[in-house]
Amino acid sequence: MSFEWIAVLMFASMMITLMSGQRVFAAIGIVAVVAALLLWGTGGEDIPFAASMKLMKWYPLLTLPLFIYMGFVLSESGIADDLYRMFHVWMGGINGGLAIGTIGLMVLISAMNGLSVAGMAIGATIALPELLKRGYDKRMISGVVQAGSSLGILVPPSVVLVLYAMIARAPVGQLWLAGVFPGLMMAAMFVAYIWIRCKINPSLGPSLSKEELASVTTAEKVKLLRAGLLPVFIFASMMVPFVNGWTSLVESSALGAIVASLAAIFKGRYTKHVFETTMRETLKISAMFMWIILAALAFGAVFDGVGAVKAIEAFFLDDLGLGPWEVLLLMQLSFLIMGTFLDDTAMLVIVAPLYVPLVGSLGFDLIWYGVLYTITSQIAYMTPPFGYNLFLMRAMAPPEITLKDIYVSIIPFVGVMLLALALITIFPNIALWLPHYVYGP
Amino acid sequence: MPRIIVSYVRIVEAVNYRVGRMAMYLIFVLMAILMWSSISKTFFSPALWTLETAQFVMVAYYLLGGPYSMQLNSHVRMDLVYGSWSIKTKAWVDAFTIFGLIFYLVILLQGAIGSTAYSLGQPYNMGIYEFYGNLITAFFTGGPSAASEVLGHMERSATSFRPYLWPIKSIATLGIFLMLLQAIAVFFKDIATIRGEEL
Repeated sequence: MSFEWIAVLMFASMMITLMSGQRVFAAIGIVAVVAALLLWGTGGEDIPFAASMKLMKWYPLLTLPLFIYMGFVLSESGIADDLYRMFHVWMGGINGGLAIGTIGLMVLISAMNGLSVAGMAIGATIALPELLKRGYDKRMISGVVQAGSSLGILVPPSVVLVLYAMIARAPVGQLWLAGVFPGLMMAAMFVAYIWIRCKINPSLGPSLSKEELASVTTAEKVKLLRAGLLPVFIFASMMVPFVNGWTSLVESSALGAIVASLAAIFKGRYTKHVFETTMRETLKISAMFMWIILAALAFGAVFDGVGAVKAIEAFFLDDLGLGPWEVLLLMQLSFLIMGTFLDDTAMLVIVAPLYVPLVGSLGFDLIWYGVLYTITSQIAYMTPPFGYNLFLMRAMAPPEITLKDIYVSIIPFVGVMLLALALITIFPNIALWLPHYVYGP
Repeated sequence: MPRIIVSYVRIVEAVNYRVGRMAMYLIFVLMAILMWSSISKTFFSPALWTLETAQFVMVAYYLLGGPYSMQLNSHVRMDLVYGSWSIKTKAWVDAFTIFGLIFYLVILLQGAIGSTAYSLGQPYNMGIYEFYGNLITAFFTGGPSAASEVLGHMERSATSFRPYLWPIKSIATLGIFLMLLQAIAVFFKDIATIRGEEL
């Protein structure tokens, strides 16, 4: 059997095992061990464990449990509640202002943790009920929370970019900086979209009443601004030592986790219940991620061993006779289509190791591609039938928001994200300017 | 369900619960090590041991915490089709597909046992289990000093810290073994669900 066919067969059997609904890490692991035993015979049984131990050499992976911990401290302890209040008071006066404020809230939360879960939890439990009460259109605000929270994986610190960095063997620092402007640009585009829609149809996002606005004194307004200092402080405590080279990436993540815990303790919010939930959820999510990565490493070791990447490269370049840009566009397209069916961990595990080396060998900048990759993952997060955010949203949102609302609400925002993706593809400098400025080209 | 199976599930779940709850706190150990690493780097001479020790703690964290997280049912599934089935159908399908997981863990465990033997200096011309057999016999007949005679050239990490690798490999082996026990317990629970019982 040719290597291409082995690769296709492995890929196809994994799709089948995944579809059976067994745990994802088991579905990947079983294909990996069976392929290893069949292809290698003696010695094949050592491959899965040997590949797993490679995990220890992936130093940046240490950040994963720490960022997850941080996210749960922030969302469970409710130290971000004041932030919402800040935006509420400052932005409430204009039509759609609370929705725009929610995007701002999401950007700040994204700057404090590396996944979208925390933003999702805070958005769905604090912002959504409040917005519904004010008569905001539920389909719009459900989209706002989902799109906004997905910024968590693009705005630094970002766990997805850390995992990408390991696959692409690219520096995490540069990748994180590359995510800054695309993240802010996308947030600005969301804001513009909300503003325009509410301008055309003010009933989608009614402004706060005059009496309510008047009831908040200027002194109170200024006092609330202090809430905005917390994210700035937490973000700075991680990023300043890191960018200056005083701490390494993982040390910074530990610092961030400690600062977030201290902030929660000082605010008197780190109760026994919060502590228990934070610890348990952190372990649950970390273990889930790590076991998937473990299985994926075994899968990857076998997959690389049969030269699958070379086979795919040859298929695109020689058999189809395409140029680099055509290949890139085709890849992004297939990525988006697969993204609607696979969730982001599966994408990371299956698609990234396949595509990333190919992008590199085509001569594209891997830092730039990291940003494109992350935005595609964001879209994958949100699009049905598989989407981590969709399930979380269903679990956390108030009951009057139905599953159909959730599905319909994302359409315009996915459109905005696709536009952002296109812009960054055409103008790579949106992503690359900052890392080049800081680290030199 | 037979009593022996019921008590197997109870014991395995109780052990994994306790191991997992203990592993849960390792995240603070991780933070402490990394904090010390940046403090020592800034104010004293950089500590050599922090990086790898942190990695060892991380491996222990999720390998020992894995079985507990499986108890909590936190491992994601692709639920495009799966999600629409009844609880009984899910249990039926799981009862078959879990053997994939069990097989994967068995192979993983076998690799782990072999790799741990290597890290303890198993001679290349001696089988893995023969080596462990010798080690255990020597320990019980001649005590620790006799056991250390059996050990060969111990594997160390190729860094300036040069830690021995057998402790972390032993922990990894234990974690995978506990995961295997938990997977079998989950299989029994699926069978119980099919029979309409609660385990």
